[in-house]
Amino acid sequence: MVSSRDRAPGDILKYSGMSVSEFMKKDVDIEDFYGKLKNRLKKMEKMGYIRPVDYNISEKGKLGGLPFTLKDSICSKNDPTYAGSKILEGYKPPFDATVAKKIKEAGGVIFAKTHQDEFAFGTASTNCAFTTPKNPWDTERCCGGSSGGAAGLSVALDLPHINLGESTGGSISEPVSFTGAVGLTPTYGTVSRYGLISFANSLDKIGPITRSVEDAAIGLDIISGKDPMDQTTVDTEGNYAKDLDGDLKDTKIGIPEGYFKISGEGVSETVKEAVKVLEDLGADIQKVELEMTEAALPAYYIIAPAEASTNLAKYCGMRYGMEEDPEGSFREYFSKIRGKGFGDEVKRRVILGTYTRMAGYRDKYYLKALKVRKKIINDFKSAFKEVDVLAAPTAPIVAPCIDEIEGMSPVEQYKLDKLTAPINLAGMPQISVPCGFHRDMPVGLHLMGDHFQEKNIIKVGHRYEKERGSIKYPEV
Amino acid sequence: MDENNVKIGLETHLQILTDSKLFCGCPTSGNDEPNTRVCPTCLGMPGARPRINKRAIEMGIKVAVALGCKTPDEMNFSRKTYFYPDMPKNFQITQFSVPVGVEGELTMELDGKEKTVRIKRVHIEEDPGKLKHVGGSVLSSDYVLVDYNRSGIPLCEIVTKPDLRSPEEARTFLRKLSEIFEYLGVYDTTGDATIRSDANISSGGERAEVKNITGFKDTERALRYEIRRQKNLNKRGKEVKRETRAYDDKSGTTKALRTKEQEADYGYIFEPDLTRIQLKESWVDSLRDEIPELPHEKKRRYIEEYSLPKEIASSICSDFAMTRIFEDLVNERNTELVANILSGPVKKVLNYNEIRLDESQIDKDKITKIIVMIENGEITDRNAEMIIREIATEDKDPEEIKEQKGFGKVSTDRINGMVDEVLEKNKDVVEDYRSGKREALNYLVGQIMKKSQGNADPQNTRDILKKRIEK
Repeated sequence: MVSSRDRAPGDILKYSGMSVSEFMKKDVDIEDFYGKLKNRLKKMEKMGYIRPVDYNISEKGKLGGLPFTLKDSICSKNDPTYAGSKILEGYKPPFDATVAKKIKEAGGVIFAKTHQDEFAFGTASTNCAFTTPKNPWDTERCCGGSSGGAAGLSVALDLPHINLGESTGGSISEPVSFTGAVGLTPTYGTVSRYGLISFANSLDKIGPITRSVEDAAIGLDIISGKDPMDQTTVDTEGNYAKDLDGDLKDTKIGIPEGYFKISGEGVSETVKEAVKVLEDLGADIQKVELEMTEAALPAYYIIAPAEASTNLAKYCGMRYGMEEDPEGSFREYFSKIRGKGFGDEVKRRVILGTYTRMAGYRDKYYLKALKVRKKIINDFKSAFKEVDVLAAPTAPIVAPCIDEIEGMSPVEQYKLDKLTAPINLAGMPQISVPCGFHRDMPVGLHLMGDHFQEKNIIKVGHRYEKERGSIKYPEV
Repeated sequence: MDENNVKIGLETHLQILTDSKLFCGCPTSGNDEPNTRVCPTCLGMPGARPRINKRAIEMGIKVAVALGCKTPDEMNFSRKTYFYPDMPKNFQITQFSVPVGVEGELTMELDGKEKTVRIKRVHIEEDPGKLKHVGGSVLSSDYVLVDYNRSGIPLCEIVTKPDLRSPEEARTFLRKLSEIFEYLGVYDTTGDATIRSDANISSGGERAEVKNITGFKDTERALRYEIRRQKNLNKRGKEVKRETRAYDDKSGTTKALRTKEQEADYGYIFEPDLTRIQLKESWVDSLRDEIPELPHEKKRRYIEEYSLPKEIASSICSDFAMTRIFEDLVNERNTELVANILSGPVKKVLNYNEIRLDESQIDKDKITKIIVMIENGEITDRNAEMIIREIATEDKDPEEIKEQKGFGKVSTDRINGMVDEVLEKNKDVVEDYRSGKREALNYLVGQIMKKSQGNADPQNTRDILKKRIEK
């Protein structure tokens, strides 16, 4: 291996701004490249983005050794995988998630796990049991959540790489809008969840977090596809990164006005300017009405915790993760471990989710929320009869300060999901693309599509990005 | 016991015989070393997911159809959440809102009369792991080990309406149910698969639920105890509490577990990792076509086609392996003889050993040999039964046993010799016969049978004796 002393100063910029496709096409000196990557890991760790894992450099396969990170809730064989929770500290899964397997088979290298809110319960990654990722633009501010580490790393690590995040109610889109990264949440069922530590199985979606739409599309190509290990997956055509260029002449873009009203003025105005850019590019801009927007957040905060509370039942100190000398009855022991191992937000959601599925409340909350969810899907379905893509702000505000988040009530924090919860409940694809700044912090343009119409949002996102031009990322 | 106002409903679990588990590819049998037939899915590891074993679903559909249930157009699985150390996920994947079958019935025979038990629902679910209490019972053991080999094995749960009236009826119902499973080829009677029931019992007042009863005998025992307990309470003017009780098979008693107020709330939600399963009509119909002739249908046919007496037909049909031997031999051999041997000595010996035909060493070839020997007059019925006793649990050849035991009918020459001796010793009896006491002959026949250790043919002996005395 080449030691860092052998390299000329300034050489560090060699890979700066390199895209994933350039990395794959170019004859990259892999030893040299990983030497640079290694030099950056300490800093990335310190910023709260990653927990490095052991890796072997390889340049085989079509990815030629492209670096990847996985959100801490995605299992990779023998790599520490904690889902941001103390209760899983020390856990090394005995198997690869399907996405991890696909990355390895294609010649990718998984070099780190990215920090997240505990079990993905959060909107700022401040509920992580290990650290809180700091925003690369302003270290006082949060990276959003729950895929906050990935969103931060994407911007802070100036080397081509792909991060896999996971979204249940907006955990890809919201953090990337806070850090100025691109996050692609595919249609539910496009990417296998086998090996993803579940938050809410009917909502969880793995997706790429990158610096550009093209990189994200390449990421989705690698990880998508039907998987016999996850029965909710379907066959899709793939080829998301193919024929990205196209004009917007025949593209109808819907503007859900309610979303702009929910957002703060600065964010709203920034996104409106981006919409104007799309219009200038030839897109047909139409106003659309989404009637169910207000109902989405309550329905989401019933369904997601209901499922989560059953998923989290398995963590009881018996088979993996935290364990102690089992004293007393099994109930006493389970309670002790769960009491120590789970953070406050996890306990809150377990209690909430258990309550809404109990006999007597099940009809009133859980089943009713499922009905609301159907109505939300229909709401979007009618909109997509009229337009190809919906465009709106990703999050109502720019990244708040970590102090501010800690001072917010749970419900105030939940409200940060207000614009992402509806489309996530509908299981429809979405991409957040940075579209400007408000108070020097990035703002995200949220492009949402109908089920399995990823190509529409990718096309619009890519075209917008080209028009917008490159972003000058902060040096971390 | 006055059982007029006794009402019993059963929730019975039977393992469905598949090669692999319900939600993963692990084998259901084989290596018995604990925790060897496991994978991330049946261990409930974080990130692992269930995937449906279609074969298990098909077997569940067959059970539902065989029990005359309505099957839905579409069904789903749910999560039933409760904490227990044998549960890898602390929830069980089962069926809740839309099970594989509802509103069926099972008709059984009780003291020669037919009785129909209504089936409320049939559903498919996964078995939890097994706890091993080391160094004592549940309460006194030093520590507990968990074996997850059983975790994820498919179970079929059959829930009856409270139509059973006595512990005997409950036992008959379970027998009948396991017969149907056996006929359907979905139940392994030879493995360690067990029939496990929870029972709801009321003796007129409030009902109690008794949990965790294993096997036919213990079901009867547990119900008997519980009914007696409830009646005793009534006698003393006390009321039966609505509660859940546990059956202790060591003492044969039931103990209070929790009251209705403490009843576990399972907080059912839909299993979001599994998609809904469409039960297309063509699929259900093709499975219906695969359902073989069921015990009651077979019995009816035996009575009509082979003119078998009802009891004999019933006896053969209660053991599926026996019906196969019967049907194989019925066209080759004397029907009556085959039926009598199977329902008579074979059944008697199996019952004595408390085994079923396919658990014994008896097979078609051995039965054929025995029948041929009887047909050829080489052995008596009594010899046949003795041979069957020998071959029930050990793999022995009936012909060799015949030789070893010296079975084989005594020749006419030897009978003549024995007749000489008997007549010499019993001159007074001969006189009685000659003076008109016809029944005296029976005594003489008996003496010969005794001398020949049962090997002389009774009819032949009688004929020879008659000739000699009357000449």
